Amino acid sequence: MEFFQENIHLTEVLVQLIAFLIVFFTLKKFAWKPLLAIIQSRRERFESEWGGIEKTKQEVAALQKDYLAHLQKIEEEARAKMQEAVQEGRRLAREIQEKARLESQTSFEKAKANIELEVQKARLTLRQEIADLSIRVAEKILTEKMAGAQQEKKALEILGELEKKL
Amino acid sequence: MSVTEQHVTAAVQAVAQVQEQAAEELPNLITILEHFFPKSHFVHFLFSWENLVFSFLVLGFITFRAISAARKNEFLPKGLQNRWELVMEGLAEFVTSILGPRGMEHVPFLGTMFLYILLQNWLGLIPLMKSPTSAWSTTIALALITTVYIQWVGIKEHGFFNYLKHLAGNPIGILGVALIPLMLVINLSIEFFAVPLSLSLRLFANVSSEDKLLYKFAELNAMYHWLPFFFQLFANVLVILFSFIQAFVFLLLSTVYISLILPHEHDEDHNAASEKSPSPIHSPST
Repeated sequence: MEFFQENIHLTEVLVQLIAFLIVFFTLKKFAWKPLLAIIQSRRERFESEWGGIEKTKQEVAALQKDYLAHLQKIEEEARAKMQEAVQEGRRLAREIQEKARLESQTSFEKAKANIELEVQKARLTLRQEIADLSIRVAEKILTEKMAGAQQEKKALEILGELEKKL
Repeated sequence: MSVTEQHVTAAVQAVAQVQEQAAEELPNLITILEHFFPKSHFVHFLFSWENLVFSFLVLGFITFRAISAARKNEFLPKGLQNRWELVMEGLAEFVTSILGPRGMEHVPFLGTMFLYILLQNWLGLIPLMKSPTSAWSTTIALALITTVYIQWVGIKEHGFFNYLKHLAGNPIGILGVALIPLMLVINLSIEFFAVPLSLSLRLFANVSSEDKLLYKFAELNAMYHWLPFFFQLFANVLVILFSFIQAFVFLLLSTVYISLILPHEHDEDHNAASEKSPSPIHSPST
Protein backbone atom coordinates (compact mmCIF):
# COMPACT_ATOMS: atom_id res chain seq x y z
CA MET A 1 0.00 0.00 0.00
CA GLU A 2 2.87 2.32 0.81
CA PHE A 3 4.28 1.64 -2.60
CA PHE A 4 1.07 2.80 -4.29
CA GLN A 5 0.93 5.87 -2.06
CA GLU A 6 4.47 6.76 -3.06
CA ASN A 7 3.94 6.36 -6.78
CA ILE A 8 0.33 7.34 -7.29
CA HIS A 9 -0.49 10.88 -6.17
CA LEU A 10 -4.24 10.92 -5.76
CA THR A 11 -4.52 14.70 -6.16
CA GLU A 12 -2.60 14.51 -9.40
CA VAL A 13 -4.81 11.68 -10.62
CA LEU A 14 -7.94 13.60 -9.68
CA VAL A 15 -6.79 16.81 -11.40
CA GLN A 16 -5.74 14.81 -14.43
CA LEU A 17 -9.17 13.15 -14.52
CA ILE A 18 -11.07 16.42 -14.24
CA ALA A 19 -8.85 18.17 -16.78
CA PHE A 20 -9.25 15.40 -19.30
CA LEU A 21 -13.02 15.27 -18.84
CA ILE A 22 -13.30 19.05 -19.32
CA VAL A 23 -11.20 18.90 -22.48
CA PHE A 24 -13.07 15.83 -23.74
CA PHE A 25 -16.51 17.45 -23.39
CA THR A 26 -15.22 20.73 -24.84
CA LEU A 27 -13.68 19.01 -27.85
CA LYS A 28 -16.73 16.79 -28.29
CA LYS A 29 -18.98 19.83 -28.55
CA PHE A 30 -16.74 22.31 -30.33
CA ALA A 31 -14.40 20.16 -32.43
CA TRP A 32 -15.54 16.59 -32.99
CA LYS A 33 -19.19 17.37 -33.60
CA PRO A 34 -18.72 20.17 -36.20
CA LEU A 35 -15.85 18.44 -37.99
CA LEU A 36 -17.59 15.07 -38.18
CA ALA A 37 -20.79 16.85 -39.28
CA ILE A 38 -18.99 18.60 -42.13
CA ILE A 39 -17.29 15.34 -43.14
CA GLN A 40 -20.71 13.67 -43.14
CA SER A 41 -22.34 16.46 -45.15
CA ARG A 42 -19.50 16.36 -47.66
CA ARG A 43 -19.84 12.60 -47.94
CA GLU A 44 -23.61 12.89 -48.47
CA ARG A 45 -23.12 15.55 -51.13
CA PHE A 46 -20.53 13.45 -52.94
CA GLU A 47 -22.81 10.44 -52.76
CA SER A 48 -25.77 12.41 -54.12
CA GLU A 49 -23.62 13.91 -56.88
CA TRP A 50 -22.20 10.49 -57.62
CA GLY A 51 -25.78 9.20 -57.83
CA GLY A 52 -26.57 12.06 -60.23
CA ILE A 53 -23.55 11.18 -62.34
CA GLU A 54 -24.64 7.54 -62.41
CA LYS A 55 -28.15 8.59 -63.42
CA THR A 56 -26.80 10.86 -66.16
CA LYS A 57 -24.54 8.04 -67.36
CA GLN A 58 -27.56 5.74 -67.55
CA GLU A 59 -29.50 8.41 -69.44
CA VAL A 60 -26.60 8.92 -71.83
CA ALA A 61 -26.37 5.15 -72.33
CA ALA A 62 -30.12 5.00 -73.05
CA LEU A 63 -29.82 7.95 -75.44
CA GLN A 64 -26.89 6.29 -77.16
CA LYS A 65 -28.89 3.10 -77.50
CA ASP A 66 -31.83 5.05 -78.96
CA TYR A 67 -29.49 6.93 -81.25
CA LEU A 68 -27.89 3.73 -82.49
CA ALA A 69 -31.31 2.16 -83.05
CA HIS A 70 -32.42 5.30 -84.86
CA LEU A 71 -29.25 5.30 -86.93
CA GLN A 72 -29.76 1.67 -87.83
CA LYS A 73 -33.34 2.41 -88.80
CA ILE A 74 -32.17 5.30 -90.98
CA GLU A 75 -29.55 3.09 -92.58
CA GLU A 76 -32.14 0.41 -93.27
CA GLU A 77 -34.50 2.99 -94.75
CA ALA A 78 -31.70 4.43 -96.87
CA ARG A 79 -30.78 0.94 -98.04
CA ALA A 80 -34.41 0.19 -98.88
CA LYS A 81 -34.74 3.50 -100.73
CA MET A 82 -31.53 2.81 -102.58
CA GLN A 83 -32.83 -0.63 -103.58
CA GLU A 84 -36.07 0.96 -104.64
CA ALA A 85 -34.20 3.57 -106.68
CA VAL A 86 -32.08 0.87 -108.30
CA GLN A 87 -35.22 -1.11 -109.15
CA GLU A 88 -36.85 2.04 -110.49
CA GLY A 89 -33.74 2.81 -112.52
CA ARG A 90 -33.69 -0.68 -113.91
CA ARG A 91 -37.38 -0.43 -114.74
CA LEU A 92 -36.84 2.92 -116.43
CA ALA A 93 -33.88 1.53 -118.33
CA ARG A 94 -35.96 -1.38 -119.46
CA GLU A 95 -38.76 0.96 -120.51
CA ILE A 96 -36.34 3.20 -122.36
CA GLN A 97 -34.80 0.18 -124.04
CA GLU A 98 -38.22 -1.13 -124.95
CA LYS A 99 -39.30 2.26 -126.21
CA ALA A 100 -36.12 2.64 -128.22
CA ARG A 101 -36.55 -0.84 -129.61
CA LEU A 102 -40.14 -0.09 -130.59
CA GLU A 103 -39.13 3.23 -132.08
CA SER A 104 -36.33 1.66 -134.03
CA GLN A 105 -38.68 -1.08 -135.15
CA THR A 106 -41.21 1.53 -136.23
CA SER A 107 -38.52 3.51 -138.01
CA PHE A 108 -37.29 0.39 -139.63
CA GLU A 109 -40.79 -0.55 -140.70
CA LYS A 110 -41.41 2.94 -141.99
CA ALA A 111 -38.13 2.99 -143.83
CA LYS A 112 -38.89 -0.42 -145.27
CA ALA A 113 -42.30 0.78 -146.34
CA ASN A 114 -40.77 3.89 -147.85
CA ILE A 115 -38.20 1.80 -149.65
CA GLU A 116 -40.88 -0.50 -150.97
CA LEU A 117 -42.92 2.49 -151.98
CA GLU A 118 -39.92 3.98 -153.72
CA VAL A 119 -39.22 0.67 -155.38
CA GLN A 120 -42.80 0.50 -156.57
CA LYS A 121 -42.63 4.08 -157.69
CA ALA A 122 -39.38 3.32 -159.45
CA ARG A 123 -40.90 0.27 -161.00
CA LEU A 124 -43.88 2.28 -162.15
CA THR A 125 -41.59 4.97 -163.52
CA LEU A 126 -39.45 2.33 -165.15
CA ARG A 127 -42.47 0.63 -166.54
CA GLN A 128 -43.67 3.91 -167.95
CA GLU A 129 -40.25 4.68 -169.32
CA ILE A 130 -40.01 1.17 -170.77
CA ALA A 131 -43.40 1.71 -172.26
CA ASP A 132 -42.34 5.11 -173.53
CA LEU A 133 -39.10 3.70 -174.86
CA SER A 134 -40.91 0.81 -176.43
CA ILE A 135 -43.26 3.25 -178.03
CA ARG A 136 -40.35 5.39 -179.09
CA VAL A 137 -38.52 2.34 -180.40
CA ALA A 138 -41.56 1.31 -182.20
CA GLU A 139 -42.01 4.84 -183.51
CA LYS A 140 -38.44 4.98 -184.65
CA ILE A 141 -38.65 1.57 -186.22
CA LEU A 142 -41.68 2.64 -187.95
CA THR A 143 -40.50 6.13 -188.89
CA GLU A 144 -36.87 5.45 -189.75
CA LYS A 145 -35.61 3.07 -192.15
CA MET A 146 -32.60 1.53 -190.90
CA ALA A 147 -30.39 -1.26 -191.68
CA GLY A 148 -31.01 -4.53 -189.97
CA ALA A 149 -27.71 -4.36 -188.05
CA GLN A 150 -28.15 -0.74 -187.15
CA GLN A 151 -31.65 -1.48 -185.94
CA GLU A 152 -30.35 -4.29 -183.82
CA LYS A 153 -27.56 -2.06 -182.47
CA LYS A 154 -29.99 0.70 -181.73
CA ALA A 155 -32.31 -1.72 -179.96
CA LEU A 156 -29.39 -3.01 -177.83
CA GLU A 157 -28.38 0.55 -176.92
CA ILE A 158 -31.86 1.28 -175.77
CA LEU A 159 -31.96 -1.95 -173.77
CA GLY A 160 -28.54 -1.14 -172.20
CA GLU A 161 -29.83 2.29 -171.32
CA LEU A 162 -32.84 0.68 -169.69
CA GLU A 163 -30.66 -1.71 -167.68
CA LYS A 164 -28.61 1.23 -166.37
CA LYS A 165 -31.71 3.00 -165.25
CA LEU A 166 -32.90 -0.07 -163.45
CA MET B 1 -1.47 -16.58 -2.83
CA SER B 2 -4.32 -15.97 -5.36
CA VAL B 3 -3.79 -15.19 -9.04
CA THR B 4 -4.84 -11.56 -8.54
CA GLU B 5 -2.37 -11.10 -5.70
CA GLN B 6 0.40 -12.60 -7.82
CA HIS B 7 -0.44 -10.16 -10.61
CA VAL B 8 -0.42 -7.23 -8.21
CA THR B 9 2.93 -8.30 -6.77
CA ALA B 10 4.42 -8.64 -10.25
CA ALA B 11 3.04 -5.25 -11.22
CA VAL B 12 4.41 -3.64 -8.07
CA GLN B 13 7.84 -5.16 -8.72
CA ALA B 14 7.78 -3.91 -12.31
CA VAL B 15 6.81 -0.43 -11.19
CA ALA B 16 9.51 -0.50 -8.52
CA GLN B 17 12.11 -1.34 -11.15
CA VAL B 18 10.93 1.49 -13.37
CA GLN B 19 10.77 3.89 -10.44
CA GLU B 20 14.32 3.06 -9.46
CA GLN B 21 15.43 4.21 -12.88
CA ALA B 22 12.94 7.05 -13.23
CA ALA B 23 15.22 9.50 -11.49
CA GLU B 24 17.49 9.19 -14.46
CA GLU B 25 15.74 11.35 -17.00
CA LEU B 26 16.67 14.28 -19.20
CA PRO B 27 16.33 17.67 -17.52
CA ASN B 28 13.28 19.69 -18.48
CA LEU B 29 12.39 23.36 -18.19
CA ILE B 30 10.91 22.98 -14.71
CA THR B 31 13.79 20.95 -13.26
CA ILE B 32 16.23 23.52 -14.64
CA LEU B 33 14.21 26.37 -13.11
CA GLU B 34 14.08 24.48 -9.83
CA HIS B 35 17.83 24.03 -10.00
CA PHE B 36 18.45 27.75 -10.50
CA PHE B 37 15.66 29.07 -8.23
CA PRO B 38 15.37 26.54 -5.41
CA LYS B 39 13.76 29.03 -3.06
CA SER B 40 11.09 30.32 -5.40
CA HIS B 41 7.62 29.22 -4.31
CA PHE B 42 6.26 29.47 -7.81
CA VAL B 43 9.02 27.28 -9.22
CA HIS B 44 8.56 24.87 -6.38
CA PHE B 45 4.82 24.76 -7.12
CA LEU B 46 5.57 24.03 -10.80
CA PHE B 47 8.08 21.37 -9.77
CA SER B 48 5.54 19.73 -7.46
CA TRP B 49 2.96 19.57 -10.29
CA GLU B 50 5.45 18.97 -13.07
CA ASN B 51 3.45 16.25 -14.84
CA LEU B 52 0.25 18.23 -14.65
CA VAL B 53 1.94 21.31 -16.12
CA PHE B 54 3.12 19.36 -19.17
CA SER B 55 -0.25 17.59 -19.42
CA PHE B 56 -2.03 20.95 -19.45
CA LEU B 57 0.34 22.12 -22.18
CA VAL B 58 -0.75 19.17 -24.32
CA LEU B 59 -4.43 19.61 -23.43
CA GLY B 60 -4.24 23.30 -24.27
CA PHE B 61 -2.51 22.59 -27.56
CA ILE B 62 -5.06 19.96 -28.60
CA THR B 63 -8.03 22.13 -27.57
CA PHE B 64 -6.73 25.25 -29.29
CA ARG B 65 -5.78 23.51 -32.53
CA ALA B 66 -8.91 21.35 -32.74
CA ILE B 67 -11.29 24.23 -32.07
CA SER B 68 -9.38 26.48 -34.51
CA ALA B 69 -9.73 23.77 -37.16
CA ALA B 70 -13.43 23.25 -36.41
CA ARG B 71 -14.16 27.00 -36.50
CA LYS B 72 -13.01 27.20 -40.13
CA ASN B 73 -15.95 24.96 -41.09
CA GLU B 74 -15.18 25.11 -44.82
CA PHE B 75 -16.77 22.69 -47.22
CA LEU B 76 -13.51 22.36 -49.12
CA PRO B 77 -11.00 21.94 -46.28
CA LYS B 78 -7.45 23.20 -46.43
CA GLY B 79 -4.55 23.65 -44.04
CA LEU B 80 -5.33 22.95 -40.40
CA GLN B 81 -8.93 21.83 -41.00
CA ASN B 82 -7.73 19.40 -43.66
CA ARG B 83 -5.16 17.85 -41.31
CA TRP B 84 -7.65 17.50 -38.45
CA GLU B 85 -10.26 15.99 -40.74
CA LEU B 86 -7.65 13.52 -41.97
CA VAL B 87 -6.86 12.47 -38.38
CA MET B 88 -10.51 12.32 -37.35
CA GLU B 89 -11.57 10.32 -40.40
CA GLY B 90 -8.70 7.90 -39.86
CA LEU B 91 -9.67 7.41 -36.20
CA ALA B 92 -13.36 7.09 -37.08
CA GLU B 93 -12.63 4.46 -39.72
CA PHE B 94 -10.43 2.49 -37.33
CA VAL B 95 -12.99 2.55 -34.49
CA THR B 96 -15.96 1.72 -36.74
CA SER B 97 -13.98 -1.14 -38.32
CA ILE B 98 -13.98 -2.80 -34.86
CA LEU B 99 -17.25 -1.58 -33.33
CA GLY B 100 -19.31 -1.29 -36.50
CA PRO B 101 -21.48 1.71 -37.42
CA ARG B 102 -22.56 2.22 -33.81
CA GLY B 103 -18.94 2.79 -32.83
CA MET B 104 -19.22 6.28 -34.29
CA GLU B 105 -20.58 7.60 -31.00
CA HIS B 106 -17.40 6.45 -29.20
CA VAL B 107 -15.04 8.12 -31.69
CA PRO B 108 -14.82 11.48 -29.84
CA PHE B 109 -13.78 9.80 -26.58
CA LEU B 110 -11.36 7.32 -28.09
CA GLY B 111 -9.98 9.90 -30.54
CA THR B 112 -9.38 12.50 -27.83
CA MET B 113 -7.74 9.88 -25.63
CA PHE B 114 -5.49 8.68 -28.48
CA LEU B 115 -4.37 12.19 -29.45
CA TYR B 116 -3.81 13.14 -25.82
CA ILE B 117 -1.64 10.08 -25.12
CA LEU B 118 0.25 10.37 -28.40
CA LEU B 119 1.15 14.02 -27.90
CA GLN B 120 2.08 13.41 -24.26
CA ASN B 121 4.38 10.58 -25.37
CA TRP B 122 6.00 12.71 -28.06
CA LEU B 123 6.38 15.72 -25.79
CA GLY B 124 9.43 14.07 -24.20
CA LEU B 125 11.27 14.29 -27.52
CA ILE B 126 11.17 18.09 -27.50
CA PRO B 127 14.15 19.59 -25.67
CA LEU B 128 13.31 20.94 -22.18
CA MET B 129 9.97 19.10 -22.19
CA LYS B 130 8.85 15.92 -20.48
CA SER B 131 6.43 13.09 -21.27
CA PRO B 132 3.71 13.25 -18.58
CA THR B 133 2.87 9.63 -19.43
CA SER B 134 6.19 8.61 -17.90
CA ALA B 135 4.43 9.11 -14.53
CA TRP B 136 2.07 6.45 -13.28
CA SER B 137 -0.33 9.06 -11.85
CA THR B 138 -1.03 10.29 -15.38
CA THR B 139 -1.53 6.89 -16.95
CA ILE B 140 -3.66 5.58 -14.07
CA ALA B 141 -5.94 8.61 -14.45
CA LEU B 142 -6.35 7.89 -18.17
CA ALA B 143 -6.92 4.19 -17.51
CA LEU B 144 -9.54 4.98 -14.83
CA ILE B 145 -11.38 7.34 -17.17
CA THR B 146 -11.36 4.63 -19.85
CA THR B 147 -12.62 2.00 -17.38
CA VAL B 148 -15.44 4.24 -16.18
CA TYR B 149 -16.36 5.07 -19.78
CA ILE B 150 -16.44 1.36 -20.72
CA GLN B 151 -18.68 0.51 -17.74
CA TRP B 152 -20.92 3.48 -18.47
CA VAL B 153 -21.31 2.21 -22.06
CA GLY B 154 -22.17 -1.22 -20.62
CA ILE B 155 -24.86 0.22 -18.34
CA LYS B 156 -26.25 2.39 -21.15
CA GLU B 157 -26.40 -0.44 -23.67
CA HIS B 158 -27.63 -3.28 -21.43
CA GLY B 159 -29.62 -1.41 -18.80
CA PHE B 160 -28.59 -1.41 -15.14
CA PHE B 161 -30.05 -4.82 -14.18
CA ASN B 162 -28.74 -6.58 -17.28
CA TYR B 163 -25.36 -5.01 -16.58
CA LEU B 164 -25.41 -6.43 -13.04
CA LYS B 165 -26.47 -9.77 -14.55
CA HIS B 166 -23.50 -9.55 -16.89
CA LEU B 167 -21.18 -8.91 -13.93
CA ALA B 168 -22.73 -11.91 -12.16
CA GLY B 169 -21.85 -14.08 -15.17
CA ASN B 170 -25.41 -14.29 -16.61
CA PRO B 171 -26.42 -17.03 -14.13
CA ILE B 172 -28.63 -19.87 -15.40
CA GLY B 173 -30.01 -22.50 -13.02
CA ILE B 174 -29.10 -23.22 -9.43
CA LEU B 175 -25.41 -23.67 -10.22
CA GLY B 176 -25.30 -20.29 -11.91
CA VAL B 177 -26.94 -18.63 -8.92
CA ALA B 178 -24.55 -20.42 -6.57
CA LEU B 179 -21.58 -19.13 -8.56
CA ILE B 180 -22.77 -15.49 -8.50
CA PRO B 181 -20.39 -14.39 -5.67
CA LEU B 182 -17.41 -15.99 -7.36
CA MET B 183 -18.30 -14.54 -10.77
CA LEU B 184 -18.88 -11.11 -9.24
CA VAL B 185 -15.44 -11.16 -7.62
CA ILE B 186 -13.78 -12.33 -10.85
CA ASN B 187 -15.59 -9.87 -13.10
CA LEU B 188 -15.18 -6.92 -10.73
CA SER B 189 -11.47 -7.72 -10.35
CA ILE B 190 -11.01 -7.89 -14.09
CA GLU B 191 -13.20 -4.92 -15.07
CA PHE B 192 -12.21 -2.51 -12.28
CA PHE B 193 -8.73 -3.64 -11.36
CA ALA B 194 -6.94 -5.70 -14.01
CA VAL B 195 -8.03 -3.54 -16.97
CA PRO B 196 -6.94 -0.15 -15.57
CA LEU B 197 -3.82 -1.70 -14.07
CA SER B 198 -2.74 -3.29 -17.37
CA LEU B 199 -3.62 -0.18 -19.42
CA SER B 200 -1.82 2.23 -17.11
CA LEU B 201 1.19 0.08 -16.33
CA ARG B 202 1.92 -0.80 -19.95
CA LEU B 203 1.86 2.83 -21.03
CA PHE B 204 3.78 4.15 -18.02
CA ALA B 205 6.48 1.47 -18.17
CA ASN B 206 7.04 1.85 -21.91
CA VAL B 207 7.17 5.65 -21.95
CA SER B 208 9.41 5.88 -18.89
CA SER B 209 11.70 3.30 -20.52
CA GLU B 210 11.82 5.41 -23.65
CA ASP B 211 12.79 8.44 -21.53
CA LYS B 212 15.45 6.33 -19.88
CA LEU B 213 16.76 5.24 -23.29
CA LEU B 214 17.01 8.85 -24.46
CA TYR B 215 18.77 9.82 -21.23
CA LYS B 216 21.30 6.99 -21.56
CA PHE B 217 22.18 7.91 -25.13
CA ALA B 218 22.56 11.57 -24.14
CA GLU B 219 24.85 10.42 -21.32
CA LEU B 220 26.89 8.36 -23.78
CA ASN B 221 27.20 11.38 -26.06
CA ALA B 222 28.58 13.45 -23.20
CA MET B 223 30.95 10.68 -22.10
CA TYR B 224 32.33 9.68 -25.50
CA HIS B 225 32.61 13.06 -27.18
CA TRP B 226 29.45 12.87 -29.31
CA LEU B 227 30.45 9.69 -31.08
CA PRO B 228 27.19 7.87 -30.35
CA PHE B 229 25.22 10.74 -31.88
CA PHE B 230 23.90 8.55 -34.69
CA PHE B 231 22.82 5.95 -32.15
CA GLN B 232 20.85 8.62 -30.37
CA LEU B 233 19.31 9.67 -33.67
CA PHE B 234 18.26 6.06 -34.16
CA ALA B 235 16.89 5.96 -30.59
CA ASN B 236 14.86 9.10 -31.29
CA VAL B 237 13.30 7.46 -34.33
CA LEU B 238 12.52 4.40 -32.21
CA VAL B 239 10.95 6.55 -29.51
CA ILE B 240 8.77 8.32 -32.09
CA LEU B 241 7.64 4.94 -33.40
CA PHE B 242 7.12 3.27 -30.01
CA SER B 243 5.29 6.30 -28.62
CA PHE B 244 2.87 6.02 -31.50
CA ILE B 245 2.55 2.28 -30.98
CA GLN B 246 1.81 2.71 -27.27
CA ALA B 247 -0.90 5.28 -27.97
CA PHE B 248 -2.29 3.00 -30.67
CA VAL B 249 -2.27 -0.01 -28.33
CA PHE B 250 -4.16 2.01 -25.71
CA LEU B 251 -6.71 2.99 -28.37
CA LEU B 252 -6.97 -0.56 -29.70
CA LEU B 253 -7.45 -2.13 -26.26
CA SER B 254 -10.00 0.51 -25.21
CA THR B 255 -11.94 -0.12 -28.44
CA VAL B 256 -11.81 -3.88 -27.91
CA TYR B 257 -13.02 -3.52 -24.29
CA ILE B 258 -15.93 -1.41 -25.53
CA SER B 259 -16.72 -3.98 -28.24
CA LEU B 260 -16.72 -6.72 -25.57
CA ILE B 261 -19.21 -4.90 -23.40
CA LEU B 262 -21.52 -3.91 -26.27
CA PRO B 263 -24.55 -6.18 -26.83
CA HIS B 264 -23.75 -9.00 -29.24
CA GLU B 265 -25.97 -10.24 -32.06
CA HIS B 266 -27.78 -12.86 -29.99
CA ASP B 267 -28.44 -10.25 -27.29
CA GLU B 268 -29.80 -7.91 -29.93
CA ASP B 269 -32.09 -10.63 -31.27
CA HIS B 270 -33.25 -11.27 -27.73
CA ASN B 271 -33.96 -7.61 -27.15
CA ALA B 272 -35.23 -7.00 -30.68
CA ALA B 273 -38.48 -5.52 -29.48
CA SER B 274 -36.81 -2.83 -27.43
CA GLU B 275 -33.87 -2.33 -29.76
CA LYS B 276 -33.40 1.09 -31.20
CA SER B 277 -32.48 1.39 -34.87
CA PRO B 278 -28.71 1.68 -35.27
CA SER B 279 -27.36 5.15 -35.69
CA PRO B 280 -26.17 6.11 -39.16
CA ILE B 281 -22.56 5.37 -39.92
CA HIS B 282 -21.13 8.82 -39.88
CA SER B 283 -23.57 10.85 -37.89
CA PRO B 284 -21.80 12.39 -34.89
CA SER B 285 -23.29 11.79 -31.53
CA THR B 286 -24.65 14.79 -29.76
